Amino acid sequence: MSATPVARSAPPGVEHRARRWMVAGTLVYVGVLVVAPLVGIFWTALGHGLGIVGQTFSRPDVRHAFVLTGVVALITVVVTTFLGTIVALVLVRFRFIGSRVVSAIVDLPLAVSPVIVGLMAVLLFGRGGWFEPFFASRGIQIIFAVPSMVLVTIFICIPFVIREVAPVLEEVGTGEEEAARIVGASSLQTFLRVTLPNIRWGLLYGVALSAARALGEIGAVLIVSGAIQGRTETATLYVLRALEERQEASGNVVALTLAAISIVLLVAIEAFKRRQERIREERAA
Amino acid sequence: MRRRLGRTLAGAATALALAATACGGGTGSGEGTSANGGQCTPETPVISFAAYSTPREVYGKIIPAFQAKWKDEHDGQTVIVQESYGGSTSQAQNVVNGYPADVVALSLAPDVDVIADAGLITHDWTAVGDGGMVSASVVVFDVREGNPAGLQDFDDLTQGGLEILTPDPASSGGARWNIVAAYGAALRGHAGVEESDAAGAGTLLEGIFRNVTALDKSARDSIKNFESGNGDVAITYENEVLTANKAGLPDEMVIPPSTVLIENPVAVVDANAEDHCVKDVADAFVDYLFTDEVKDLYSSVGFLRPADRDAAAEDDGDMFPAIDDLFTVEDLGGWDQIDRDVFGDEGAFTTAFERAQD
Amino acid sequence: MSTTLQEPRTTARPAGPSSRPGVRLGRLSLRATALLYLGLLIALPLSAVVAKGFGRGLMPLRDALASPGAGEAIRLTLFTAAVTAIVNAVFGTMIAYVLVRVPFPGRSLVNAIVDLPFAIPTLVTGVMLVALYGPTSPIGGFLEGIGIKVIFAQLGILLALLFITLPLVVRTVQPVLLELDPAEEEAAKSLGAGRWTTFRKVMLPALRPAITAGALLAFARSIGEFGSIVIVSGNITGRTLTAPVFIFQLTQQFRPEEAAAVSTLLFALSFSLVLITERLIRRREAV
Repeated sequence: MSATPVARSAPPGVEHRARRWMVAGTLVYVGVLVVAPLVGIFWTALGHGLGIVGQTFSRPDVRHAFVLTGVVALITVVVTTFLGTIVALVLVRFRFIGSRVVSAIVDLPLAVSPVIVGLMAVLLFGRGGWFEPFFASRGIQIIFAVPSMVLVTIFICIPFVIREVAPVLEEVGTGEEEAARIVGASSLQTFLRVTLPNIRWGLLYGVALSAARALGEIGAVLIVSGAIQGRTETATLYVLRALEERQEASGNVVALTLAAISIVLLVAIEAFKRRQERIREERAA
Repeated sequence: MRRRLGRTLAGAATALALAATACGGGTGSGEGTSANGGQCTPETPVISFAAYSTPREVYGKIIPAFQAKWKDEHDGQTVIVQESYGGSTSQAQNVVNGYPADVVALSLAPDVDVIADAGLITHDWTAVGDGGMVSASVVVFDVREGNPAGLQDFDDLTQGGLEILTPDPASSGGARWNIVAAYGAALRGHAGVEESDAAGAGTLLEGIFRNVTALDKSARDSIKNFESGNGDVAITYENEVLTANKAGLPDEMVIPPSTVLIENPVAVVDANAEDHCVKDVADAFVDYLFTDEVKDLYSSVGFLRPADRDAAAEDDGDMFPAIDDLFTVEDLGGWDQIDRDVFGDEGAFTTAFERAQD
Repeated sequence: MSTTLQEPRTTARPAGPSSRPGVRLGRLSLRATALLYLGLLIALPLSAVVAKGFGRGLMPLRDALASPGAGEAIRLTLFTAAVTAIVNAVFGTMIAYVLVRVPFPGRSLVNAIVDLPFAIPTLVTGVMLVALYGPTSPIGGFLEGIGIKVIFAQLGILLALLFITLPLVVRTVQPVLLELDPAEEEAAKSLGAGRWTTFRKVMLPALRPAITAGALLAFARSIGEFGSIVIVSGNITGRTLTAPVFIFQLTQQFRPEEAAAVSTLLFALSFSLVLITERLIRRREAV
């Protein structure tokens, strides 16, 4: 949110100094807390030379881990975007009794620790679980296999798209949609031609947040996946194993790669957020 | 028509979510399923291998050797082995709970028995190879360079202010070996306890566990914790210390005068291997583990004291120092008796641990 | 800019073309989809946890809490979360103020960096902290030399939590700051009030709900944190073991009932906090 600075009347010397201290404080705090660790991992991972990067990525288990992370994140983002948009529409456009409760439920995953999410999946799909007989009799493996990893990641990412799209839907209002319907557009056309363009940046912002969260998931997948190398081991799980196997160098390289991907996502997140803010300001004008 | 599209989309969305779960489920690629009734000779067999936390490095060598050998003997067919490592008891429970392992290599026989009791192992796994035991080691102390605390025997571990690392017996097999070692040494008249003094053994365990500062979930986690600078001593496998030394770490090893011979089992999980149509490959893999070639590999990383007890206690002049009193679980009455006497509800460890919490 | 005939509303179905039967049916299936999605994916699993944890009364909970290190784990979790919330409330507010009111070169870069913890995997956060402060690193070695242990100690936990929750506070306070009418502050200044007094009497009351909301969110987020803590803390029972890692250990020991009981407690706490936060934010918007 790069807001336009508020014009101030000529400040006395004291105020200037105080502000300078605050800026310094900000730079130090953010620098030490956020930037330094990032620099640290760069240094440590690449301090062994770039050869270790090539070595790490030549390993089939590392490559598979990244592919698996990508697949899980992709499915998660697609599902949460699609269904999240529907939920946001329902919440905002169709007021109904208990919508407050539903809104609270949407926020629930934000409050649940990932280990609890993993436990939930095991209780439902693991041995003795509520749904286990159904899937076992059909020979479908949920726990210790990819489906459970997808399910837990979806759970964790549910709120992101909804929370970004809903306020935009509220701000935009129904006016244009009504107009479209009056001229005879179907619901789907209205959605595609009118609503979607309006919520576009908020939606993309939510999608980027969701993607970042999905590729970083560790707690829940650690519990449900079994971390089977070459089968259910994600990039984050690989880092954990590399540290256990005394292969810190490889672990650091993969961690650094994940950090780099997150930074790319961050740039996207910031860009979408800024667009969204700008449109909101224009609308308010 | 067009309005129905909205509904159809909504329905499709739900179907998509369910499909995502079903698609990734079932057996992985390259595996046939006998349940399908279809082809049961996969082109590229995939073996799922679940092991305890310690032997990662050695299986990292053995598995490629097996894959090369299989390729040679089977017209260039590639075998994929998907490994997973964790606390022995955790892994056993995972397999019982649905983990699709075809071969298990665990820390102690009871963990394999748990899987057999669940009906997943239907053959007598102890009839394979050397009683089903593929590697051996002993319980030792991993101490700081120079052994500053001067630890020599289990009773030294009870000294005040000492910080001990040992894993959690609920998830780690190594943890149980450690407890059996202390208990057994005490019963046999070492560690400052009178021979056959069960109460004394219990007191020894209590003293040790008063000093335990962390119960990690696997033996590897425990020694890594120690290497990070925590604790004064880690009770662990001899081969873990040797592996650490090979990795350049300054861990120093102290072998108590009386300690237990650790024997690690391996077994094919028939139910899973048959389901995945890889029974023949799994059997071949396990058989391979008992060949001399692999025995040499195990020994080279400090994993295999000779299976014969007397030979095991000798100084082999290279990697394995002599041991004064090396005993086995048979000497203590076998695992059934130990499970009762030590880990049962009134067992020596159970009561000692409770008392140590006060 | 809107060219409609009606005022844009967000209330329920407007009359007219939208009430055609086809549309109503479409709405119904959308609603059903939404409820199914949330019900199956959120409500159902959570009720499974509660059922497992308390299906046999309070026994599992008591057993869990009687485990060695359980009480300390909960205390440590609450303590570190509280410290994190307070520290980040202070610094987060300061940073938000600087980002909104004080132009300086590189401000938009700092603005973007503040969001970094949202994007970075928590596990990577842990790895980064170990890389920077671990005993083998220059900084870590130096700190340990003067007796400050970061990794495998509570300080590491705090650094991880502060990192992760910083954007929560900043992004909650920033929008409120943006909307503050500077006229009031100008008025106070022209009456001779010093800047601290202005801040305290004019800005702070308006910011208080947002700062509280941010702090509560930081707290709620902190008590559930796992990925970074499992790497930096060492999970030493009774010393650096936190509640989420404790729950994880319970699952590894196949004590699912106890894990479920403690989990229920944990998420009940964080969920209540999130609800309170929502109300605080909503009240502000209503003003």
